[in-house]
Amino acid sequence: MNLILQPVMVDTGEEGEACLVFAEGWLVAVLVRLSDNHAGAEGFWFLEKGFGRLDCPDPPSFSDLECAQQWIREHLEIHRPPRWPGDQGHT
Amino acid sequence: MVGRFVETLELYGRLSDADREAVAALPGAVRRFEAGEDIVSEGDAPSQCRLLLSGLAFRHKTLRDGRRQIMSFHVPGEICDLEGLLLAMDHSVTALSRADVSFIPHAAMEALLDGHPQVAKALWRTELVENAVAREWMVGMGRRSAYARIAHLFCEMYARLRAIGLVEGARCWFPITQTHLSDALGLSVVHTNRVLQALRGEGLLSFRGGMLTVHDWQGLKAAGEFDASYLHLKADPV
Repeated sequence: MNLILQPVMVDTGEEGEACLVFAEGWLVAVLVRLSDNHAGAEGFWFLEKGFGRLDCPDPPSFSDLECAQQWIREHLEIHRPPRWPGDQGHT
Repeated sequence: MVGRFVETLELYGRLSDADREAVAALPGAVRRFEAGEDIVSEGDAPSQCRLLLSGLAFRHKTLRDGRRQIMSFHVPGEICDLEGLLLAMDHSVTALSRADVSFIPHAAMEALLDGHPQVAKALWRTELVENAVAREWMVGMGRRSAYARIAHLFCEMYARLRAIGLVEGARCWFPITQTHLSDALGLSVVHTNRVLQALRGEGLLSFRGGMLTVHDWQGLKAAGEFDASYLHLKADPV
């Protein structure tokens, strides 16, 4: 699955470095980089918001964007609906 | 040994000298629990009431994958498993800090309640207030922001600890971690940490090493939309 990351600034009261994650053209997640306010997790990428199948009660943090993308791909694949928007007849 | 139990009951009802003596005479073997240890577990059918003598505890349910929801915190003088008199436990109570707990046999508690209706009423009120607290938490989780939820919880614990004399100079021992706060309020640890930083930054409180210090009680109350009337305490801390 092709993911596209688009850098943005998000107003979380921290440094704001973040990215929008698109899958097949759909916005599926917002990842925010944690500042040094988060001892032990500074620099991690936090799933600030997951949409649809990535909306979870315990959003995880990832040590780098590669880990985050892997988790997003796995989650989208596991919970893949019969027809992903834009798919050609996936079942 | 009943510790602060008499004082707690008297927050919720008027007791006679005979009532007080009967409560103080309850038998109870004391056991110490370390932080994180279950005082009573989901599925247990207790034959004793577990009265918290010292330390703090929390009530919770934990899902199979380890996700946990904390439903309430308990302070010294409270019985952790009063429902155990009539029902099996449908949730667990765990020590938040090291805690001494008195185990009072159900037969002795039932005899006390049968013979002393004012004690029974006071104890009933404590349960009603616990339900009121649960309603307030539900309002918070359903309708309050993360910021207000956390401020509200600190207000609640501060008011309750103050009512039993465990606040000194605007400071009280409330050794929760950010994970406990998150599990109690349905928030991620990241959001909890951000709100704590904001509350500190605004000069409302400090929270370090398990010690909560309230610097601006009126400001914290406003932040948490806190109105202590649901606690039915004799006086709101000023």
